[in-house]
Amino acid sequence: MQEPLLQLKKLNKYYGSSHILKDITFDINYGEFLTLLGPSGCGKTTLLRCIAGLEAIDSGDILLNGASIKDLAPNKRNINTVFQNYALFPHLNVYDNVAYGPRVKKSMSEKELKTRVADFLELVQMSGYEKRMPHQLSGGQRQRIAIARALINEPDILLLDEPLGALDLKLRKYMQTELAHLQKKAKTTFVYVTHDQEEALNMSDRIVVINKGEIQQLGNPREIYNNPKNLFVADFIGDRNIKKVKVLEKNNNYFRIKLGSSIIDIKCSDYAGGGCNPGETAILAIHMDKMKISCTEIPNSFSGEVMSVHYAGSQIRSEVNVDGEIVTVIEYQNNNSDYNIGDKVYISWEESGAVLLPLEDYVEGSNV
Amino acid sequence: MNTKPKRLRTFYLSLFFVILYIPVLSVILYSFNQSPSTAQWTGFTLDWYKELFNDRVIAEVFKISIVVAFLTSILSAILGTAAAIVALHVTKGMEKKINTVMILPLLIPEVALGVSLLLFFSALKLPFGYLTLVLSHSLFCVPYVYIMVQLRLKEIDISIIEAAKDLGAGTGQIIKTIILPLVMPSILTASLLAIAISLDDVVISTYMAGPTSTTLPVHIFSMMRVGVTPKINALCTLILVGTFFIVGLSQLISKTRKQKEEF
Repeated sequence: MQEPLLQLKKLNKYYGSSHILKDITFDINYGEFLTLLGPSGCGKTTLLRCIAGLEAIDSGDILLNGASIKDLAPNKRNINTVFQNYALFPHLNVYDNVAYGPRVKKSMSEKELKTRVADFLELVQMSGYEKRMPHQLSGGQRQRIAIARALINEPDILLLDEPLGALDLKLRKYMQTELAHLQKKAKTTFVYVTHDQEEALNMSDRIVVINKGEIQQLGNPREIYNNPKNLFVADFIGDRNIKKVKVLEKNNNYFRIKLGSSIIDIKCSDYAGGGCNPGETAILAIHMDKMKISCTEIPNSFSGEVMSVHYAGSQIRSEVNVDGEIVTVIEYQNNNSDYNIGDKVYISWEESGAVLLPLEDYVEGSNV
Repeated sequence: MNTKPKRLRTFYLSLFFVILYIPVLSVILYSFNQSPSTAQWTGFTLDWYKELFNDRVIAEVFKISIVVAFLTSILSAILGTAAAIVALHVTKGMEKKINTVMILPLLIPEVALGVSLLLFFSALKLPFGYLTLVLSHSLFCVPYVYIMVQLRLKEIDISIIEAAKDLGAGTGQIIKTIILPLVMPSILTASLLAIAISLDDVVISTYMAGPTSTTLPVHIFSMMRVGVTPKINALCTLILVGTFFIVGLSQLISKTRKQKEEF
């Protein structure tokens, strides 16, 4: 098996007395699009800056192609960064911005550089903008220049720190696809930082979910979305109903649980259900958009009373009172959705949409 | 509804400027007065300017002042900028200490500063003249450059410097290719200010001037002892015009910079 491109080994970082990164250990493979996902303040940007060399680490090691780079200055690491605000040099035009890296490294002649800058401007679809100054560019254009400026150095890894954060929604969606294409085209490993789960699920080969300086889960988007390892991931990724339930029986992956007065049987993937023993209280997390409301009784479902129905474009968002617990259901409009407030309905869901998790890290009120 | 306070404001502001600039305007006016006395206006003339330009001593003294001002501005631009860049790279506590030391020359009374410089340069056996003038003027011009360049440095987004580092630039390269170009407008403005301050200084220059190297303000001062002649009015008018030109130029520099960087 090929050696990983970058290995992070028990990385720790403190700011004063606060522990920012806790024993971060994982590998980054050649050519992958890896996303560090987490809420603001979780340490994901700090981790990125440690990889870039802009922050020193307090313990642990970083290996690039098998060699430690933890004591190398940022200008000696073959890693480049696209900063959150792009950090284009305001006094240099587009050409000089992109040419900056090769020039300070004196790695090629001006003649060679000219064709190279042209190549990379073409890669990011910004040919013809050579003479523009950064302040004459739009946000999306500035970002492309920032990417070209970083990629021209042929880094082993390109780090991107929330590069879409400053763009409007429409451009952001467009740039998501663009970035994913660009990554495949440039054949460069991308490490991307974001707090936006949709962005992460959309673009990444693998996602590292981080909270409070600790890795919560590492996996591909499908795993992260369908099989959250703990409550944090379940709550952070996708919109879920998170309810405390009583475990009555357990048989391999099959559980009999009780919510209010409804008793139902569910099947859960093995690792997610570990620890939920009969008699214990556990957490049931179900994707809102994988649930279905039915007016006729169906087996193995929650029954409740419709509290509210909101039409939001193609979606209907309904709240159902199941013995005092409010369950939110998101459905796409179809002919069956003819229930009204006050109706007694039955809620069922796709098997893959639900997970059962141990109670351990449940904090009352914070997981809604 | 708010026309009344607005009128009041305009009136107040006008009054303010009238009081501030009438003395200045009167100098300009009297420099064109035929009568050597300020008591009466007898007609328009350019005679005083002719007399001024024919005055060998003033021409010589003016040349000295200009040379000293330019050398001072260059020296203080270099020292002030270097100090500001150093202050950027040290800890917060150290930066505060540097700030205090840098600004101290502005707070020490000029008379005391002059005496101490006099003693110091005598002890070093430096000949009084250009050298002592430039060194002592730089002493109180450096703080202005330092403050102005430091303000500009603080405006620079730290991620720009990190980006340069990330792209492979060493500290020297970052200063040369990023920091200096970005602070250049401030350095130029500060240099112009240094020229204006140096040209204007009387107290320190009185101590520092050598037998053959008096500066213009010191010379004007000694001329005044004999009495105010309209020639001095003409000279002051020219100095005023020069100063306004310098101020205008520095405004222009900072304006174009702001336009360039508006995102």
